[in-house]
Amino acid sequence: MLGFLLVVLLIPYLIAAYGLLFVKLRWGLRLFGAFIVATIGLLTVMFLVEAYPIIARDGVAVFLQTGWDPVRESYGVLQALTGTVLTSAVAMALAMPMALGVAVTINEILPARWRGVFGSLVDLTATMPTVIYGLWGLFVLGPTLQSLVNTLARDTMTSPYTLFTAGVLLAIMITPYAAAVIREGYALVPKPVEEAIYAVGATRFEAALIKLRYVRNYILGGFFLALGRAMGETVAVAMVVGGNFVRFTTNIFESGITISSLIALQFPNAASYQYMVPALFAGALLLTLFGLAINAVAIYIIQRGQI
Amino acid sequence: MTAERKAENITAVRMVINWLGLGLFALLGVAAVVPLFLIIGDVYVKGIDAINRLGGLWHFLTGLPPTPYEESGGIGPMLVGTLYMTVLGALLGIAVGFPLGVYIGEMRREKFANVARAGVNVLVEFPTIVIGLFVYAVMSLAKEDLNLYLLDPLSRTISPVGGWITQFIGPLDGFNAYAGAAALSIIMIPYVALITASAYASIEQPLREAAYATGGREFNALFVVLRKAVSRAVLTAALLGTAKIAGETAPLLFTAFGNFYYAPFTGPTAAVPLWVWYAAQTPYEVQIASAYGAAAVLLTIILTIFIIARIRG
Amino acid sequence: MSPTQNPKFLAIIAAVAIVAVVAIALLAMPPGGSPQPTTPPPASQPTATPTPTPTTTPATTPTATTSPSQPTTTPTAINSPTPTTTSVPSRLSGALTGGGSTFVAPQMFTWSKTFYQVTGGKIQVNYQSIGSGAGAAQFLEKKLDFGASDVPMPRDKYEQIAGRFVQFPVVIGSIVMTYNVPEIAYQKTGKYLNLTAEVIALIYMGEIKQWCDPRIKALNPGLADKLPCKDIVAAHRSDGSGTTAAFTLYLTRAYQPWNQTVGWGYTVKWPADEKAKGTGAKGNEGVAQAVLQTPYSIGYIEFAYWAKNKDKYDQVGGVAFVRNDNDGKYYFPTTENVAMGAAAGLERYTRRYGSKPAPEADWNPVSIEFSNPPRGYPIMSFVYVFLWKDYAAEGYGDAATKAALLKEFFKWVLTEGQKQGNVVEGYIPLPPEVAKIGLEALNLVKP
Repeated sequence: MLGFLLVVLLIPYLIAAYGLLFVKLRWGLRLFGAFIVATIGLLTVMFLVEAYPIIARDGVAVFLQTGWDPVRESYGVLQALTGTVLTSAVAMALAMPMALGVAVTINEILPARWRGVFGSLVDLTATMPTVIYGLWGLFVLGPTLQSLVNTLARDTMTSPYTLFTAGVLLAIMITPYAAAVIREGYALVPKPVEEAIYAVGATRFEAALIKLRYVRNYILGGFFLALGRAMGETVAVAMVVGGNFVRFTTNIFESGITISSLIALQFPNAASYQYMVPALFAGALLLTLFGLAINAVAIYIIQRGQI
Repeated sequence: MTAERKAENITAVRMVINWLGLGLFALLGVAAVVPLFLIIGDVYVKGIDAINRLGGLWHFLTGLPPTPYEESGGIGPMLVGTLYMTVLGALLGIAVGFPLGVYIGEMRREKFANVARAGVNVLVEFPTIVIGLFVYAVMSLAKEDLNLYLLDPLSRTISPVGGWITQFIGPLDGFNAYAGAAALSIIMIPYVALITASAYASIEQPLREAAYATGGREFNALFVVLRKAVSRAVLTAALLGTAKIAGETAPLLFTAFGNFYYAPFTGPTAAVPLWVWYAAQTPYEVQIASAYGAAAVLLTIILTIFIIARIRG
Repeated sequence: MSPTQNPKFLAIIAAVAIVAVVAIALLAMPPGGSPQPTTPPPASQPTATPTPTPTTTPATTPTATTSPSQPTTTPTAINSPTPTTTSVPSRLSGALTGGGSTFVAPQMFTWSKTFYQVTGGKIQVNYQSIGSGAGAAQFLEKKLDFGASDVPMPRDKYEQIAGRFVQFPVVIGSIVMTYNVPEIAYQKTGKYLNLTAEVIALIYMGEIKQWCDPRIKALNPGLADKLPCKDIVAAHRSDGSGTTAAFTLYLTRAYQPWNQTVGWGYTVKWPADEKAKGTGAKGNEGVAQAVLQTPYSIGYIEFAYWAKNKDKYDQVGGVAFVRNDNDGKYYFPTTENVAMGAAAGLERYTRRYGSKPAPEADWNPVSIEFSNPPRGYPIMSFVYVFLWKDYAAEGYGDAATKAALLKEFFKWVLTEGQKQGNVVEGYIPLPPEVAKIGLEALNLVKP
């Protein structure tokens, strides 16, 4: 019944919103604003409702215990949570320097007419389908990384598909998101400040460092936005992360799982079990809450530091 | 003398550091885009070879996907499904995203507009799988009632139009193209909204005042007069958003589900990214090859949209 | 309400609408064009079906077993004309969606594609290999028209929907143990490994950690000096899987301690993941791929996934002989050995339970008796298909067409589909008396 109301009200709602645009523009626009807020609210509530059975049964333990044992109806998402944190950490550690490099390269190093081209390439990196990254990770990046790591340190990576592979792939994917925010800040450095920097005789490298310090809020904001991306990415990660949802591991050179890839892999069969669907929705809820928190922080930081 | 030498040394050291530092930044910057070339190269080299082996371009674009025991095949149904869902998703995304962007861009002083802006910012970052899950959950709840009260009677009413209409309208299955399109549109909305908003926000005050003065009603000022000033940015946003959703996989996993045939859009629908995701993980040469071919086609679509967006924008 | 503004806005709307219509019309071409040439008015509408075959033959409807669901009401005319056309591929057209078992996917794709060609492209059976667990789950959620699984409906779910659905086997498949150990690759040594249920179980329990373990050496005197002291990577499924269920059921039957520590099901908690090096992959496809790409790994996959890539496996490792503990012989997974095992398993079931089960019954005892048979290759399984008995009552849209299409497809699968050319290498056609159970089951599906 809820569904019926939802869909049957949704279409008239949108039509009404469009109608109102003519009659009373502001209210029409407000309806659109309400639509988006309602969607997010509904999403959270729905996940809460769906996850309720397992939270009622296990309490917070579902987020704090490891093990995924459907035969005994015991589920914990801690190993997935750790996997998410580890892959994101690897990704951020690699992506942030690259994002800074992109911002500096575009603004300081490249001649003016190449900037647009380079910027476009970076943007294209963000637009590329994630499944194509996954394909590349599966057949090129994974095996390459494995032989690379194993030549440096024997037998550390037994499988090409590990948390580390996923982290590296994620780093490539999220760099443009962080870079976009940093570039935005970089472009906003006031002319007088820039002139002052050069006036005291700074080299271009020193000037770049000073400017990066100047826009540190943007860097931090970009960090959190990219982090949000890294935590939520599904398909590319699921293809290279190794899909080990049982073992709790903190070794990034072993195969693991992330929350989103756990959902992608286990959701289809979840309805065969009593508590697996709620457990997966609990994972989705966790991901949603993380997303909300990270965004709140990022937005706060960027707004506080608006130049 | 010594002070001068020292100063010279320091300058020399600083210059070295300068070049080293800039070099490092440049290296990092280049490192961010090198994988892009590697990926595009890999996909096209293997993809074009695969398309040739699987029966040529036309067959590949229209044929049915290969079973493990066939030598040739294509991605016809996937291409149709992706185009259909992307177009629907993009239309819906623009229809909601544009006014929403106007709202959060133009009415910034309203408290609620800021709430909505925060909502959009959250949504643009949302894990796409979560959106797929959400649409799946809604679809599960809504399907039966929807079929019973709306689509069964509707399909009976329109059936005289001809059999072809059943390809588009009819009682929905648990998985269908419309659920997929809905999930895609939810991903598209914030893209369009954010870019529209920043385009409206960047309109200079005098122009805005002039628009309000000549446009008369607020609607005219915002949608007719000022639209001209921002149309480029909005078009770019729409195109980039379309490119983004054309390649999305995760939201389609539980909504469109996938298909191997040309089938009605009221049931499970194929999509190129879904096929890449599936076929790449099989152990069969022929299917892996078709995954690469499909990836090359998908990449071509997205590159085309991207380049159009860049030229126009 | 100034007159200038509305026309402009309407023009925009009109433009958008035209673009949309054109786009949709263009898109309509491929699906409307190729599979459904416009010649016959498509009979997919339920209102259209009653007329063509007036030979109503009511003999099909009242099969003796259907006493509870005997349709005394006979609602509307839709019910009467069961398309009893066996020779003519029928005037039906439409699309079906099934999903589940990745174990049977290569076979199911081939059936689907052949059937598509046999019917002149009119009936499209879309089969998505999402895993048996998912097949059962999404079938129960009414998201799929049929589900396929390598184990019967789990008992608790069976009890919930008993009487509303039928299940029947469509083919027999076997599970092979593939390994990737370059030092003893078949191409180098000309030998395949010997394994027993106990050793396989101990590997997946994380007790046997290295390839040079004395317990493996003892089974393979010929390879003993070549087995490397490398950690074993035990590859298993990361999604819910009937292959896992059949595999763990075999270990449960053949090695007692497995039953006490792990048990069997679509997804189990692999001790190897905690104690040693386990790795998960999606689908039979994924495990097959993972074994090929991961040195020192072992994995359990469906025969067909190995057979197609036999050469590749021989380069890096191979496929194991498995000992049947009941007769003490080692069997290579050949079609004959699997068929021998299947026959022996069925025989044992009939000896213990008498007759074969009905389509509405719980088939779990069959699976259990079938696994680890008295002789022959020991790891194998039926592949089951789930159908609802009354699609309309389960809330499916366009139920009459669906039911008719399903009957048509599975009737073909159980008859023509079992013949030589239509069974993919590695699968064993059903014995005729088992196929008959499926045909009986189809009669229980309400048209």
